[in-house]
Amino acid sequence: MKKIVSTICMVLLLISCTDNFSSVVDFTKVENPTLSEASVVGQPNSSVIWLDGIKQNMAFVYNELLVLAELGSDNYVNTQTFYNQFLDNLTLLSADPDLRDATREVARLREMAKFGLEFVGPGDSEYSSEQEADFNFYLGLSYMYAGMYFPALPQEPGGAAISASQNYQDALVAFDKAIALNPGQTRYLLAKARVNYYLGDKTAAVAAATAALAIDDSFDNIVRFDADAPTGTPDGTNPANVMESALYQRATFDDLQPLPTLDFLDPKYSFLSDGEDAPVHYLKAEEALLILAEANLSDGNVAAAQDNLTDLLELIATREVRSIDDSIEGRTEGMPRSRPDSTIVVVNGREGLVLNRHSGDVEIPSVSGTSLTAEDIESLTADDDGLELLYRTRQEVFIAEGLRFVDMGLKLIIDENETLQNENISETDLGAVPLIPSFISAVASDLDAITYDAATGVATTVVDVNKILVANKTSPEVLPFH
Amino acid sequence: MKNKKLWLWGPLLVLFMSFSYAQEKTISGNVTDQDGVPLPGVSVLVVDTTNGTQTDFDGNYTIGVNEGQVLRFSYIGQKTTERTVGNESTINVQLEEDAQALEEVIVTGQGSGIQRRKLSTTVDVLTEEKIDRLPANQIDQMLQATAPSAQIRLSSGQPGTASIIRTRGAISAASSSTPVIIVDGIRVDNLNSNARLGIATGGANVSALADIPVESIERIEYIKGGAATTLYGADAANGIIQIITKKGKAGKGTVFFESKLGVIKATDDYLKYKRTGEAIFQPGISQEYRVGLSGGSEKFTYNFGGSLYKDDGFNDLNEQVRRTFTFGYSAQVTDKFKYQGSFSYVSFDSNLDYNANTSFSRFSAFEGAAGGVNLDELTEEEWIPLRDNAREIGELVDITSRTSRFTGSNKFVYDFTDNFQANAVVGIDYRTTVQEELQSNALLVALGSRPQGTTDKASLTRALRANFIVTGDLNFTHKANTENFGFTTILGGQFFRTADRQNQLSGSGGVDGTRKIDFFPTQSAADFVLENANYGLYFLENIGIYNVAFLEFGGRLDKSTVSGEGTSPLLLPKVGITYNVSDHDFYQNSNFSNFLSTIRLRANYGEATNFAEPFEQDKTFELASFLDRPAFSFANPGNPLLVSETVKTTEYGLELGFFRNRLNLSGTRYKGNTVDALFTPVAKPSEGAQNQIQNIGEVQNEGWEFEMRAAVLQSEKHQMNLNVSYNTNENLVVSTGGGAPFVVGGFNVLGSVVAEGQSLGYLRGTAAVLQDDGSYEFVTNSFLGDTFAPNFGSVSLDYSWNNKISIFVTGDYQFGGKITDLSLLLRHLRGVDDSTVPEELLGTTSPFNYTNFFVFDNDYFKIRNIGLSYDFGDALKPFSNVKLGLSVTNPFNFTAGNFDPEATGSGIAAQGGFASGGFAYGTESSPRIYMSSLKFQF
Repeated sequence: MKKIVSTICMVLLLISCTDNFSSVVDFTKVENPTLSEASVVGQPNSSVIWLDGIKQNMAFVYNELLVLAELGSDNYVNTQTFYNQFLDNLTLLSADPDLRDATREVARLREMAKFGLEFVGPGDSEYSSEQEADFNFYLGLSYMYAGMYFPALPQEPGGAAISASQNYQDALVAFDKAIALNPGQTRYLLAKARVNYYLGDKTAAVAAATAALAIDDSFDNIVRFDADAPTGTPDGTNPANVMESALYQRATFDDLQPLPTLDFLDPKYSFLSDGEDAPVHYLKAEEALLILAEANLSDGNVAAAQDNLTDLLELIATREVRSIDDSIEGRTEGMPRSRPDSTIVVVNGREGLVLNRHSGDVEIPSVSGTSLTAEDIESLTADDDGLELLYRTRQEVFIAEGLRFVDMGLKLIIDENETLQNENISETDLGAVPLIPSFISAVASDLDAITYDAATGVATTVVDVNKILVANKTSPEVLPFH
Repeated sequence: MKNKKLWLWGPLLVLFMSFSYAQEKTISGNVTDQDGVPLPGVSVLVVDTTNGTQTDFDGNYTIGVNEGQVLRFSYIGQKTTERTVGNESTINVQLEEDAQALEEVIVTGQGSGIQRRKLSTTVDVLTEEKIDRLPANQIDQMLQATAPSAQIRLSSGQPGTASIIRTRGAISAASSSTPVIIVDGIRVDNLNSNARLGIATGGANVSALADIPVESIERIEYIKGGAATTLYGADAANGIIQIITKKGKAGKGTVFFESKLGVIKATDDYLKYKRTGEAIFQPGISQEYRVGLSGGSEKFTYNFGGSLYKDDGFNDLNEQVRRTFTFGYSAQVTDKFKYQGSFSYVSFDSNLDYNANTSFSRFSAFEGAAGGVNLDELTEEEWIPLRDNAREIGELVDITSRTSRFTGSNKFVYDFTDNFQANAVVGIDYRTTVQEELQSNALLVALGSRPQGTTDKASLTRALRANFIVTGDLNFTHKANTENFGFTTILGGQFFRTADRQNQLSGSGGVDGTRKIDFFPTQSAADFVLENANYGLYFLENIGIYNVAFLEFGGRLDKSTVSGEGTSPLLLPKVGITYNVSDHDFYQNSNFSNFLSTIRLRANYGEATNFAEPFEQDKTFELASFLDRPAFSFANPGNPLLVSETVKTTEYGLELGFFRNRLNLSGTRYKGNTVDALFTPVAKPSEGAQNQIQNIGEVQNEGWEFEMRAAVLQSEKHQMNLNVSYNTNENLVVSTGGGAPFVVGGFNVLGSVVAEGQSLGYLRGTAAVLQDDGSYEFVTNSFLGDTFAPNFGSVSLDYSWNNKISIFVTGDYQFGGKITDLSLLLRHLRGVDDSTVPEELLGTTSPFNYTNFFVFDNDYFKIRNIGLSYDFGDALKPFSNVKLGLSVTNPFNFTAGNFDPEATGSGIAAQGGFASGGFAYGTESSPRIYMSSLKFQF
């Protein structure tokens, strides 16, 4: 009996010493459930997943840039504590974390595109030229956003600040590569047109815009948002449409309020589905038409400009208009009737710009909307009045898309996390100090200011930014074709 | 099969035995102390039997024995005395004081316990007696105002919510300051914040501290960081709360039944609008029933405790239910081998209201004047629909949390010789929580978030968290004595392993009336895992010199799986010395010792650590589901050099006892430097990368800890004790490693910030500074104050009369810090409250330019508990003891501002993250609880 017991004990002891059993008592083994680099690089079909990651990153880019750009421009004012609290007055603080986040997303777009071009694509047996073209396109976009929104921004981790014009040039190089690899993509061409537009290269801008329209005269490229994906992957990001939350989703919190002249266009983004938020129409045919119209106006060719604007009206007429219940909002800004909220309101002498959100659904354009009429186009002139009309139309068509800020000649600055830790940038470098056109800084605190008498229904914006822009059309910061 | 159930009879058998021992004659007598004062509660035991009893309140006892048997009389603080039974029928005993035994044994560190007089570190101890009289059943609430050097802030009055606990300052920007909690040697889940995937209610979050088993506690030791925690290694730098549960005592078995009944009423002192309370508050009833069973023989002792608790809160929708049972036992298996075990089960169900940072919160909406509504200015006709809407919302809010926790500990003690002992502990803590938030269509409509008639927008979120911790420890203690020296040597190894697994399921677009997740048309899921193991070897040598001075040195070699590939184990040293000047014979024999009876000098140095969140050392990629397609992106950049941050603490102390220790003063100076501090600096934005935690910072804490314990009255009839503590803490971020300041709470214009040269989480904002010409200059990023009050302490007063009536009061205070009254800021933004803003600023600029007018002192003095109890003794037969208790919690509050500086729940949202508590906002204060209790003992 003793023998049997001791034999069993010996066998058990032996088994427990084998590797097989050691996992039972090894308390130090931990497993990180996330992904390592080996699962991303060198795997078939990894490029398509990486590309979808970049598309997701585009949502992050827009989430960071749009709120800043729309608050910084005259389009919107922030009446609550959520969202940026500095940009309304064009206070550019290097310590503003929203600036940091915006720069980081633009940089991440660049790093992701580069990583795709250098590692993911070459390691993927299924890598296609269309995917390579897209990687180049998104690299170009990151340079384009750097040029649009910053006087200068690094192109490398910890690199020196590169001027906006150089960023634009590098964007063009990347777009051309994309076009060569996969011709016929309206988004590549319109991006090229936009960069040339802001560079003031009329001929190149017109050529690219025309080429884009030739492929499809009603094209619409969108940045999509996921409404129910978890937030915070990667850190600090949100794949839902943040601008939609600011304009619509936060219900009784009327965070961002539009200038009353734009009331009828708000909210451009409203509930789409439980799974997806409203997209941002970031490279659409309207922009090509407006570039052509502005080029024609600057050439004194009113008739051609009128044709462009007529095409624009026709195009806009085909765009989706959404019927939405916006009764929860109501422009109260915490104080009932403090902002125009009735159809009787006349803003700057113009009627029909303000909606009543309490008498049933309202009709809001979700792609493009404008108060421009055929009569307006008929009376178009090549003088400042014509330009003001054009810029008013640009403002309306591009509301909540971040272009107004750029049109006003505004730029953000590099934040302190970069200047403090990046040896190649000091606090006094180009890009680290605010550069605001003097004609805008003079009215910075009045950009969103209105006077409103609820009893008479008369609302007036304190300044007319379109007038100011046109009056300064020769300034290098605005109206690039002049 | 039959045989297997035999063990069930074991405990019953023991019970039976203890009640049924054969008795031949009856002995009675009286037990007194050295001064002739009768001693109640003296254990009288017949040696080598399970037969025993206790003396009554007059020191009398009666026991049945056989002639020739030996009676053993034992009482804490007195020398144990034995008497052989002869033919007499009365045995009166006078016990002698035992100075050595009076010295508490502290369980601190690993190995055998050690006498307090040998320790160079201080430990706050809460005894059974003090624990039992507290009406609270949440560990942080118990320690508040009773642990002299802890600063505990209850961040919300909502049930089971997180608190901010700290002792010697905030030592880390990377983690919560909550101490490690150990129950009978086993680490338990101490998550004192929302879980990563937990349900956020806008502010106050449920905490694991709410369901730490507090049933059957024998004592609680609060060990502050530094040298005292070196041997614990790992994340012990914030200190340790050590809970030792009851294992029963040899002697006559006792059974008790206790019933508590109370009323919970909202603390409405801080309400801006009385009407807020009218709409939301509703006094609730609290009921609790407890039973306990305890006893045993010399070889085996046992203790059982069970309780059922329910209250329906002060807020119309809150409710909490707690069911617990615990048992502990101790068995002397052989002469050399002892086995102790304890097990507890706690179930805790609660529901929360929305609060703070959500537009769904009724409280913050009313108090923050949402929609520009000043409740005071509404007519009754305007108010009633608003009130009724709030009450309707209250009926519809549905945020629940259900937790089950199992904690089990096994301790094995083997005495090789009288001087050589092995201790082994192994045990687990398993805690599962299911939280649900159901946003019904009806709720969304009532909130005005969805239009009337909405029927397909309901959503359900279910968050599941299971946290498992296994702890193991094996150590050897050797004691050797020479004529003049004593050596205690401890050598051991310890490990623990934690697995925190979380899942979140969400469904949206649903109809009302269901909680089934797959009935919601759109569903999503997320998970989150933290796994880490920590292990180390430790060594301690305590050398007694002439039994008056003690030199202690040792250390721990500590390794954690939360460290980079390129790192080696950390060596954490400690050294300390204690000199009990008053223990010299010459001193004790001098008359001076009657005046100054105790002089003890202490000094020590020790290191303790805190580790980062598991897996933060790894380079990882993210795979998100973006529009239902897989999408890669960069995630953690990785840090192969990541190690735990180390807090190096130096401490000096002096303890004095006057008039035969009737007045005790203790003073400690400490300085703790957190080196290789874990900071997550904001990455250079040009990297386009996530922020990576790194060992780049340095944080310093220094301060004083003073405590006074005075026996004001000490007569046969009257006993009164007064304890007062005062602590200071100066916190400074010495270095952020070159990184820019970063916001850890609040807003961009007014945030809680980490920056070099300031305290952790200080308040920074745009301040309007009055100039000589009467104009204001707006200075961005101005220093607005420290969020933690640098001065704090507690007060307690006990009085007992004739051992029958006892009264106690506890309170705590803090001063010197600042806090933002966020509700005021919101009211101001919404145009209804300009009370603190200079008139000349009104309307001239954005309120964000004068945030300093919303920041106030966070000073307070709060009476936490007042209790009264009456002991009927054995007057009410057949009970051997009946005790009636009355108490009131949070009766009086004195604060510098018009708001509660404790109600800062919105700052504790990140799992295990740093919480500054710099923003008072949108959640209710701890309620007032009027409680009565009646305890019957057999």
